[in-house]
Amino acid sequence: MRISTVTMFEQSVSSMNRQQGDFLKVGQQIASGRRVINPSDDPQASSRAVGVSQAKAITQQFTDARVSARNSLSQAESVLNSVSDAVISAKTLLVQAASDTFSDIDRQSVASELRGIYETLIGQANATDGNGRYLFGGYRDDSPPFARTAGEGVQGAQYIGDENTREQRIDSSRLLPVADNGKSIFQSVPSGAGYVARAERDTGGQSIGTQAGFERNQGSVTFSGPSRVNPDDPAFGGSFTLQFTEDADGVMQVNAVDGEGNIVLEAEEYVPGSAVSFGGVSITLKGTPVDGDQIQLRPANAEGANKDLFKSLKDAIDVLEMDQEGTPENRAHFRNTINSVMRELDNSLDNVLTVRASMGARLNELDVVDAVASNRMMNYEKTLSDLVDLDYNEAIAEYSLRQVGLQAAQRAFVDVKGLSLFNFL
Amino acid sequence: MSMFSIGLSGLNAAQNALNTTSNNISNVYTPGYNRELTILGQQGTTAGGVQVNDIQRQFNQFVASQLNAATSSSSALATYENQISQIDNLLADREAGLAPLMQNFFSSLEDLASAPSDPAARQGVIGTANTLTSQFRSFDGYLQDMQQGINGQISDEVTQINNLTEQMATLNREIALARARSGEAPNSLLNQRDQLVQELSERMDIRLNIQDGKSYNISLPNGQPLVAGTNHYRLEAMDAPNDPQRTVIGYRASGGNLVAMPEDTVKGGTLGGLMSFRSETLDKTQNQIGQLAVSLVMGFNEQHAKGMDLNGEQGGDFFSIGTPQAYSHSRNTGTAQVEATSFDAANIDQLRATDYTVRFGNAGDPPQVFRKDNGQQLAADQVAWDDATGTLGFGGITLEFSGTPANGDRFEVQPVRRATAEMRSEIIDLDKIAAAQPSNPDDDPADWLMTGTGDNRNALALQNLQSKALVAGRSSLSQAYGGMVSDVGNQANIVKVNLDARQGLTAQLKAVQQSESGVNLDEEAANLIRYQQFYSANARVIDTASTVFDTILGLRN
Repeated sequence: MRISTVTMFEQSVSSMNRQQGDFLKVGQQIASGRRVINPSDDPQASSRAVGVSQAKAITQQFTDARVSARNSLSQAESVLNSVSDAVISAKTLLVQAASDTFSDIDRQSVASELRGIYETLIGQANATDGNGRYLFGGYRDDSPPFARTAGEGVQGAQYIGDENTREQRIDSSRLLPVADNGKSIFQSVPSGAGYVARAERDTGGQSIGTQAGFERNQGSVTFSGPSRVNPDDPAFGGSFTLQFTEDADGVMQVNAVDGEGNIVLEAEEYVPGSAVSFGGVSITLKGTPVDGDQIQLRPANAEGANKDLFKSLKDAIDVLEMDQEGTPENRAHFRNTINSVMRELDNSLDNVLTVRASMGARLNELDVVDAVASNRMMNYEKTLSDLVDLDYNEAIAEYSLRQVGLQAAQRAFVDVKGLSLFNFL
Repeated sequence: MSMFSIGLSGLNAAQNALNTTSNNISNVYTPGYNRELTILGQQGTTAGGVQVNDIQRQFNQFVASQLNAATSSSSALATYENQISQIDNLLADREAGLAPLMQNFFSSLEDLASAPSDPAARQGVIGTANTLTSQFRSFDGYLQDMQQGINGQISDEVTQINNLTEQMATLNREIALARARSGEAPNSLLNQRDQLVQELSERMDIRLNIQDGKSYNISLPNGQPLVAGTNHYRLEAMDAPNDPQRTVIGYRASGGNLVAMPEDTVKGGTLGGLMSFRSETLDKTQNQIGQLAVSLVMGFNEQHAKGMDLNGEQGGDFFSIGTPQAYSHSRNTGTAQVEATSFDAANIDQLRATDYTVRFGNAGDPPQVFRKDNGQQLAADQVAWDDATGTLGFGGITLEFSGTPANGDRFEVQPVRRATAEMRSEIIDLDKIAAAQPSNPDDDPADWLMTGTGDNRNALALQNLQSKALVAGRSSLSQAYGGMVSDVGNQANIVKVNLDARQGLTAQLKAVQQSESGVNLDEEAANLIRYQQFYSANARVIDTASTVFDTILGLRN
């Protein structure tokens, strides 16, 4: 074929251009470390890379969420650690104070020690995180969840937070509770806690005892227990009231009714030091009751039963500070209240420990999810890298090859340009 | 016949041949030049001597037509490639692209969920929202600049084409005159005219019809004439009748009316490349970005309104966005106008990345709505028409008409095309971010009760939107973005591959054309020597004749 001079020139130039373009493309790939620079280099890979990088970003968000969840949980957990310590010391003090050898003065000093613990506990319950947000207020994290109440004796504490639990999304399908509310920690008992008794008589409205609507018994009857004897009893699980009445003959009778007033224990003669059993529970009674005295037996989580840790401590301090004046009635009131409070504190401590254990379990869960997520993250990184990153060995080989190609094209151009018949004329 | 005149005819022929060769050499790099050959012939029947029969232009109409067609399509592809690579590059940015900014935004919502009342976390959300919206806007601004650039380029191309056709008509006349004057083909004019055809082919695809083997008639692909003999017809760049922001090609019909040609009339050349790029890729990409932005905004605002801010009020609009665009067709005869357009939050799932044509029929009948991307008519149950109020709802938008449409009136609707330009973050006050949910969400929002500053439920719900199928009820935001990347990438890739193939073909045809019509300097150098010798030899003939003559004259001395 005839070749025109223009064709020779143009072909050389265009092949040089092509070689140069390829050479620069490989150079650009090496400089950026990426095989796919523009979406058009590999549309499928680019589009999948968008998806993978989104999955990566979400995984990273959950990782960040876990960091802050772990932070909140560890803070709360460490607070609860101190709380359980404080409750245990309170119990130790109460065991000491219950001793008959203590005088009123001795009890006063225990009471003042217990007040210290009480204040500490309220402080713990109103603990804040690093940002000044209250840990145990539910969604109301901008004011102290436990407010002080005025009244006789020790100032009480009232929960004014809400009953919500803040959650965080720590994985695509897992909302983890990160902040338990104060009510579930300090004013709850674990399920399965047994019966708790309080020995006070119903006033029919007036509140001068430790319970609302009750006053202290007038006799010196004390109880120990109650204990569970027959959980299969059909009445078991209800609230009972043990009542002392004097019959026409002046004989002290004892009977028991359930929450609706149905009799669960027919009236029988009261024998001091003996146990009475009804509705699957048994309670041992001592001392001398007066007509109208009562003992309330309630499952720990029943309506009316005290579930509030602060209330229990307040009651204990109040009776410790009471002047017993050496009367058996006062003594009985003291013993009964301490007895009730001890059992309530046990339940509260169980509850705090349960919540703490659940926080520990959640912290563990975070670790597990972290491990899974970091694996997943590595997979995403790998996928992303496979999709768009450069294989340097291959690229450098290609780079050298293109360099040779370009040099060859330039050489060819120079040679072709030099060949002309006119040079020989 | 004498040796003198034979020698003289040889000298003449040699001079002609040397002229031709010199002309070839001097025009070796002239575009459109076709090499010439001196065709020698024997003179007379008995006299002897040589004569120049023709200075022949080496031009093959068949190859030239093929080359022109190939040039036209590779020029279209080159223009297309040039344009689409800009979008391709825009999407290539891994750090500042839309996907990472959306990720940052949702990541800041995660921070908000961790500390719902923390001012730093709230500030983070506002900051990332601002960055996200401004990037959406600048992305759209870039695409809109391309739209305007294309409008300008179309006008330029049309001007150039008009110049070329005018020159062509002039050349047709001059060639006819020259032929009439000398009876010979005016090679340089012919070269110029063929060069014009080639230049025209680079700008658009044309049909060439050679009348009587002499006059070139040029027409558009749809048959409308551009050059007929010595007349030429002008194209004009005009606003599209259905969209005043769009430049299309208009053709002045015989009645003097300017008629817009359909956009797919011209497919080849720079003009065709621009038109196909605009309708196939640019419109689509802009619509996809718009759909993404509108879906994000509507979905986010809806969830935000389900929450309460720190002031205890219902969450307000977090983002604002533009409205759908509607243009009435310039040849509508009714009085109907589009008064207001809005997005229909309840049916936002039906929002698609396409434009629509609304066509009214008989009075009172619901109008017909056609998707422009696939030409399909929307089914009757997808179009809600209230004749009393003139309210039309379809595809996730609502249009309100005033006046009375006439039968056949048309409206162009672009639901999402320009929406992104107005995408803004509306929250400035930190307290206005609604991270909480009311404790009584089923009540009237005015009666909502605040749970507390630590409530992060709405923040969690907002964060979760990133995995929700917000776009057309089918894909998440990042999936939609990935789809767009894949669309543009594929299209750019296809264009590149086609361009390579076309350019290869064009180069081959060019080589074929050049092998016939191109000048080879070596060949011309050889010719130069040959004709020089030819000249010397003929001079020698005259010299010899003179010597012979002198010999005769010398006999008397």
